[in-house]
Amino acid sequence: MAEIEEQQSLLGAEEQQEEDAAPRGGGRPLAAICDPSRLPHRVVVLCFMCFLGFGSYFCYDNPAALQTQVIQDMNLNTAKFMQLYAWYSWPNVFLCFFGGFLLDRVFGIRLGTILFSLFVCVGQIIFAAGALANQFWVMEMGRFVFGIGGESLAVAQNTYAVNWFKGKELNLVFGLQLSMARLGSTVNMNIMGWVYSRVMDATGSPGHTTLGASLMIAAVTCLFSLFCAVVLGFLDKRAERILQKEEGKTGEVIQLTDVKNFPLSLWLIFIICVGYYVAVFPFIGLGQVFFIEKFNFSPAQARAVNSIVYIISAPASPLLGFMVDKTGRNVIWVIIAVVATLAAHMMLAFTFWNPWIAMSLLGVSYSLLACALWPMVAFVVPDHQLGTAYGFMQSIQNLGLALIAMAAGAILDTRGYLFLEVFFCACICIALMAVVALYFVDYLKGGHLNQSAGARARLQKESTPDAE
Amino acid sequence: MAAAARDWRLAPSAALLLVCLAGSARGAFHRQLSAKLNPGYSSLPPGGDLLHVRAVGVNDTLHYLFSSQGAPTLLLLHTDSASSDIQVNWTQFLARNTSGGLWVEPESSLQFSSALVFSRLLEYDDVNDTATPTSDLFPPYDLQNFTWSRLNLSGPAPTALLCGGVARGSLCLRLAVFGDEGRGQRWPRLLHSANSSQMEVWLDGVAPRSPRSRFLLELQTVGGAYLPSRVDVHRSIDDEFTPSIFQVSQWVSSAVDGSAVLGFVQWKPVAYRRSDPVLEDATPCRHSEPVPQSGAAAASSSALVRAFFATPHAVGLNVSFGLAGEPFYNGSGFLSWTLLVGVGSPPVDAFSPLVVGIMAVSLGTPMILLLLGGVCVCFRKRDGTNAGQAYEPIN
Repeated sequence: MAEIEEQQSLLGAEEQQEEDAAPRGGGRPLAAICDPSRLPHRVVVLCFMCFLGFGSYFCYDNPAALQTQVIQDMNLNTAKFMQLYAWYSWPNVFLCFFGGFLLDRVFGIRLGTILFSLFVCVGQIIFAAGALANQFWVMEMGRFVFGIGGESLAVAQNTYAVNWFKGKELNLVFGLQLSMARLGSTVNMNIMGWVYSRVMDATGSPGHTTLGASLMIAAVTCLFSLFCAVVLGFLDKRAERILQKEEGKTGEVIQLTDVKNFPLSLWLIFIICVGYYVAVFPFIGLGQVFFIEKFNFSPAQARAVNSIVYIISAPASPLLGFMVDKTGRNVIWVIIAVVATLAAHMMLAFTFWNPWIAMSLLGVSYSLLACALWPMVAFVVPDHQLGTAYGFMQSIQNLGLALIAMAAGAILDTRGYLFLEVFFCACICIALMAVVALYFVDYLKGGHLNQSAGARARLQKESTPDAE
Repeated sequence: MAAAARDWRLAPSAALLLVCLAGSARGAFHRQLSAKLNPGYSSLPPGGDLLHVRAVGVNDTLHYLFSSQGAPTLLLLHTDSASSDIQVNWTQFLARNTSGGLWVEPESSLQFSSALVFSRLLEYDDVNDTATPTSDLFPPYDLQNFTWSRLNLSGPAPTALLCGGVARGSLCLRLAVFGDEGRGQRWPRLLHSANSSQMEVWLDGVAPRSPRSRFLLELQTVGGAYLPSRVDVHRSIDDEFTPSIFQVSQWVSSAVDGSAVLGFVQWKPVAYRRSDPVLEDATPCRHSEPVPQSGAAAASSSALVRAFFATPHAVGLNVSFGLAGEPFYNGSGFLSWTLLVGVGSPPVDAFSPLVVGIMAVSLGTPMILLLLGGVCVCFRKRDGTNAGQAYEPIN
C-alpha cells in the first residue's frame, strides 16, 4: 500500500511553483512556533502530517497481526481471511485514478483529507463492529470502506508535504513520512497480539467479542489520525490566510487515452511491479502462521520476524534511494532486487534456515526495488503522462494484489505452504523475465533507464542549452 | 550460437521428462492382493473376525492379518516366498490361552513379523489448557473390552472397517492394504508403497467426561524377539500433501545389529477435528518415547499376538491429540488420525512433478531470455557497429 510515496516524490518535482511569500507586513509579528513561514511551526505541522497516515498504516495489517485469532474467532478458512486484504484493494483499482482528481477538483485538499480520514476511521469501526457482531461480511464491508480512504489518504498526505515543504526539507519529509508508515505497520504487527491477550484477560475467553474489542482499540489510532487531519486542515487554512498562498494540489492529470500510447518499457515496468508486489504483500499477510508452523516460532517471534521487512525498510529506503540516485543504472538495481527477493522466497520454501535471514534479505530487496523501480516511470513517459502512468501502475498493482490475495488463501488451504511459496517464486520469476526483457528493450532502443548517474547528468547538461 | 540457445531451451523440459520417468519407474513395483475373511472358518467366529490379506510380489509375500479378537491388532508378516500362506487353528486361536494358533507355511520363509496393537484410549481433563497429561487421567478405555462390529470389507484395494462403541460414540479403525505405490485421497494424504498398509483411526461422538477433555491413544508394537525401536522425527520442507505439516514421525524397528530397518509405523503429527476437514480443522499431535511393556499383557489382550508369538516382546507409546490452546474434543466431537504400517524402510515424500515443473519453467525461462537477449545483442553489435548509433536520443 505504501508505494504511493515513491511516486509522489517524483510528482513533487513537477509541482507548480509555490510562491514562498513572506508573511504580510503590517500585522504584529508572530511567535516562531505560530508563524507558518518559520521552521518551528513547520515542525509542528510535520508532526501532524506524519501521524495523519499512522492510523491507516497501523490498521491495514491488523488482519495479519491477528491472523490466528481472526481465523479462529470468526471461524474462517485462509481463503476467506485473505478476502479482508482483497476487499481493501478492490476500491483502489479505480480510486488510484480518481484520488488526485477528487482532491484537486471536488473536495480540495483540506476537506478531502478529512473525508478520507473519516473513511479510514469509519471503515475500521465497521470492521471491528463486524467482529463484535460475529458477521464476517460486515468486516469485509469495513475493509472496503477502509480501502476507499486508505490509499487516497496517502496521496493527500504527500500533497500536504509538497505544499508545506517544497523547496525546503521536502526529501527529508518524504523520508520521515515513509518511516512513519513503516513504524505504524511494525507497531501494529508487534502490539496487536498483546492487545488481544489483554482484552482476553478482561473478557475471560477468546472469541469474536474479544476480537471486536481489540479492533475497536486499534480504531483509536484512526480517530487520532482523523484528529490530525482536522488540525492540519485548520493550520493549513490559517497559513493560507497569513501567507496568502494557494491550497495544495496533487497536480495529477489523468488522461486515460494516454494508455494506448504507453511504450513497451512502461508495460514491462507494470509487469515487474505487479509480479513483484503480489509476492510480497500477500506473503506478509499470511506470514505469521507460516513462521509458527514451519519454523516452530512462538507467536511473538513470528510477528517480529514478519514485521522485519517494514522495520528494515524504514531506515533502508532513504539510504538505498540515495545510493540509486548516485549510481543510476536502475535496471541493474531492479534485477538485483528481484533476484534477491527470489532467493529469499526460495530460502523460505526449500530450506529450514532461520527465516530472519530470508526476511531481512526480503526487507532490503523490497526497499531497493521501491527506490529503483518507481523512478524509472519518469524516464519512459513524458511529464504530462506521469500522473496517468502512476495511476495506472497503482491500479493494476491493486488489482493484482486483490486477485493474488484470494488465490494465495485458496492455494494455502488446499496445497500448503510449499506450493504457496513456489507460486510466489513463479510470480517473482515473471517479474524477473520482465526486467530482463526491459534491460534488452532499453538497450536496443538506446534508452536511459540503465545509464549511470554520471551519463545521465551529462545528457541533461547537453540537452539543457537546447531547451533554453 | 543459435543452436546452443536451442539446446538450452530443451534443458528444463528434459529435466521434467526425467522426473516423470523416475516417477513412473518408482511406481512400477506391484503386488497382487487377495483378501479372505476368517480363512478356514465356516461361519462367523464368536468374539470378532480375522481378515487375511495376501500381498504377493515377485519373490516375496506380505501377509496382513487384522483381527478384533481382543484389542484390534494388525499383524504384518514378511516372507521370502511367493507361495507362502497362513494357517489358523481356530480352536486354539479362539481359546486365546496358548500360542501356536496361527503360523506361516512354510515356516522357514518368515523374514520379519510385527504386530501393532491398539491397546487403550486415555482421556484427561485439561483444566489449565496445557495439553500435558499428568495425574488427572480418567480411567482408561481398554480396547480389548469393547464390543466390536463385524469387519466390513469394501473397495478395490481391500479396506476393512471396524467400529467399537465407547461412551455413546464410537472408535473406528479403517485398514487399507495397497498393492501399488500411491497416496491417500484424504488428508494427511500419506504416501504409501506396495510394502505398506494404512490405518485410519477416528473417534466420533464420544461423550467426553469433562468439558475440557483431550484424548490419547496407546499403541504397542509386538515382535517375537527384542528389536531396538525408536521414533525418528524428520522435518520435511514439503507440505503440499498435508498442508502446514512439516514433520513426519517414524517408529522404526531395526535389526538387532542396527543395520537395516525392518519395519515401520509412520505418521504425520496431525489429527483432524472433522470427518471432512479443512485446513483449520488440523490439530497437532505428539507422541511419547517408546517404552518396553509387558509382552504377556499384550498377548492376553490380543488374540493375534497370543496365537502367533511364542515369546512376545512389546514396546508401547502414547499419541496425544491437541496442543495447548487448541480446541478441546467437545468442540467438534470428532478426531481422526492416520498411520502407515509396513515392512522395510518407510516411504519418503518427494516434490510433486507439478512443483518441480513450475520451478523449472519459472527459473528456466528468465535464463533462456537472458541468453537469447545476449545473443541478439551480440548479433546486433556485430552486424553493424554504426547501426546502433543511428538512434538519437529523442529529447
